Amino acid sequence: MADMNTSEPGGKGHGKKKRRAKKASTRVDLTAMVDLGFLLITFFILATTFSKPKTMEVNKPAKEDDKKVEEPPIKMSKTVNFMMGSGDKLYWYVSPDAIDENTTIEMDSIDYSPNGLRRIIKKRQSEVAAQWGNQDDLFVMIKPLPASNLKNTVDMLDEMTINNVKRYAILEPTDPIDSLVAVRVGQKVK
Amino acid sequence: MPKVKVPRRSTTVDMTAMCDVAFLLLTFFILTTKFRAKEVVQIDIPSSTAQIPIPDRDILMFQLAPDGKVFFGLDDQPTRLKLLDRLSSEYKLSLSESQKDAFRLLEIWGMDINDLPAFLDLPAEKRAIAPQAGLKIDTTGGGHQVEDLILFSRQENNNLRIAIKGDKSTEYRSFAVLITALQNRKVNRFNLITSARTAKE
Repeated sequence: MADMNTSEPGGKGHGKKKRRAKKASTRVDLTAMVDLGFLLITFFILATTFSKPKTMEVNKPAKEDDKKVEEPPIKMSKTVNFMMGSGDKLYWYVSPDAIDENTTIEMDSIDYSPNGLRRIIKKRQSEVAAQWGNQDDLFVMIKPLPASNLKNTVDMLDEMTINNVKRYAILEPTDPIDSLVAVRVGQKVK
Repeated sequence: MPKVKVPRRSTTVDMTAMCDVAFLLLTFFILTTKFRAKEVVQIDIPSSTAQIPIPDRDILMFQLAPDGKVFFGLDDQPTRLKLLDRLSSEYKLSLSESQKDAFRLLEIWGMDINDLPAFLDLPAEKRAIAPQAGLKIDTTGGGHQVEDLILFSRQENNNLRIAIKGDKSTEYRSFAVLITALQNRKVNRFNLITSARTAKE
């Protein structure tokens, strides 16, 4: 029991004969209080959100009309295009630097697994490093089609972080090649 | 043989220390608890390797339901009230004190702003289960309700960070509309809320 009062009644051993009024014990039964304490703890444990969600920063390029200085166009051989379609499908191609009537564009369909997307990014990084001397020159153009889902976007951005891609942007699929690719694979651009 | 008498000992235990511990823990949990926000729609967030924890305060949250409905939430009650004042003067809503109070407690909502007064008039328990149509999001012309919400909230609280909590299966199309609205208000940086996972090798 909780001991609040340690003085012994009677004052034995001190040789005093004085009689004291019997003191009522000040001990309190704390069992109920402990019960209540743990009940409240349980409630708060259960009501707490423990794992806080994480956030992923997304920076969109400013709209065209905000741009004060027109930037020089980027060399297409430094880029890679990823188009995200419906049904977790992903299409990638590299635009040629110059287009004439003999130009062919290779387009392939991959998935978001390390064996698909990550392999392509690594491949392009080494190609860009071989051609331009620095793999950080790679510019990844991410073009989500309207029917792709948010998980695809997050996976894509995540892959940029994992592979240490320095330059990437989420863009609208407005390039004529995008429309061609989309039509070819039966996806809608708008 | 004489029996050995075992002295009877009291079975009561000193509860003081246990009580102390219990209340210490209780204090800890009371102080650290952040109650789970009410959810209008169930949202299953995608996972990523991002490690930045979501800030505790000054969050403007857009929720994107799988069906593309957009919901709006402000974490801070004073800002909610200031926002409501702006909205009522802009959209000519006349609101009573009880309606304002209902809005102050509204964690997340999504509907045409003009439908707000009727919604706030509902009794609390009906309001919690009333279906909501999602924000009126139309960036091509006519209404600019979402743009207004973004603008007014940011004017009332300068430190607001914009977070987007979307379901895994939300189509990019509705995400794009929201981004367009944000960019129309010169918000080019925002946070996507994800759950943590480790990179697959």
